[in-house]
Amino acid sequence: MKRIEVKLALPVVAPLLDVIKGMADSLRRSLAAPLGLTDLDADYGTAWADELVAAQNEDVKTLLALFNEGFFREGVIAFDEDNAEQIVRATAAVRLRLREYYLKPLADESLESGNVELEELDESLRKAFMCYLFLATIQELIIQHLDSSILES
Amino acid sequence: MILAQAKTQVSPLPQAETELALEGVWRVVVLNDPVNLMSYVVLVFKKVFGFDETTARRHMLEVHERGRSVVWTGLREKAEAYAFTLQQWHLTTILESDETH
Repeated sequence: MKRIEVKLALPVVAPLLDVIKGMADSLRRSLAAPLGLTDLDADYGTAWADELVAAQNEDVKTLLALFNEGFFREGVIAFDEDNAEQIVRATAAVRLRLREYYLKPLADESLESGNVELEELDESLRKAFMCYLFLATIQELIIQHLDSSILES
Repeated sequence: MILAQAKTQVSPLPQAETELALEGVWRVVVLNDPVNLMSYVVLVFKKVFGFDETTARRHMLEVHERGRSVVWTGLREKAEAYAFTLQQWHLTTILESDETH
């Protein structure tokens, strides 16, 4: 089984986890991306959204499980074909929620390019944007190294 | 799938009216967002629709540059299934009836 281990700088990543966990909590009852279907009847739409939220929660749980005791001991997180798909989806969900909760002051073009002057941001915005970039890095790593596992699963 | 069960249990419209509303051709449309990475969107299109790299990239660029891309067209039931899956991957997705254009 293909497995990627990533050594992270604990002093940099650990402070971001509170923000990520906060976003994870906020995702428990609502979808990261808007439900764009307006013509579903109410009950069907509720069932639709509930099932999506349940799947989203499972994904986010898998993401948070990366940051276990082993991570705090050695700073290492690991991806493999068992967790890659859920983590890549969960990072998308948390990044969308970060934008909604924290990153609205940043222009869409800045979010797309990542070109933001960190020194010019206040602390909470800077921390949220660092989470946003960190999760994008995780996504890119997984897509680069485990995309075949995801496509074949 | 739970969703399918829920659908058969709920019948808010008279059957004929429901069937009429669901007839015809529906488009699955993915809308742009500034958050999801291009590589992620390409991966999702390959995964969900089985697109090759070129086709997936073409749709991704269409979403990015034009704000939307029609990624699938066909019957409502299957369009809903695709929309559900795309939403599981957090892509903003809508369904459009062929009659709206």
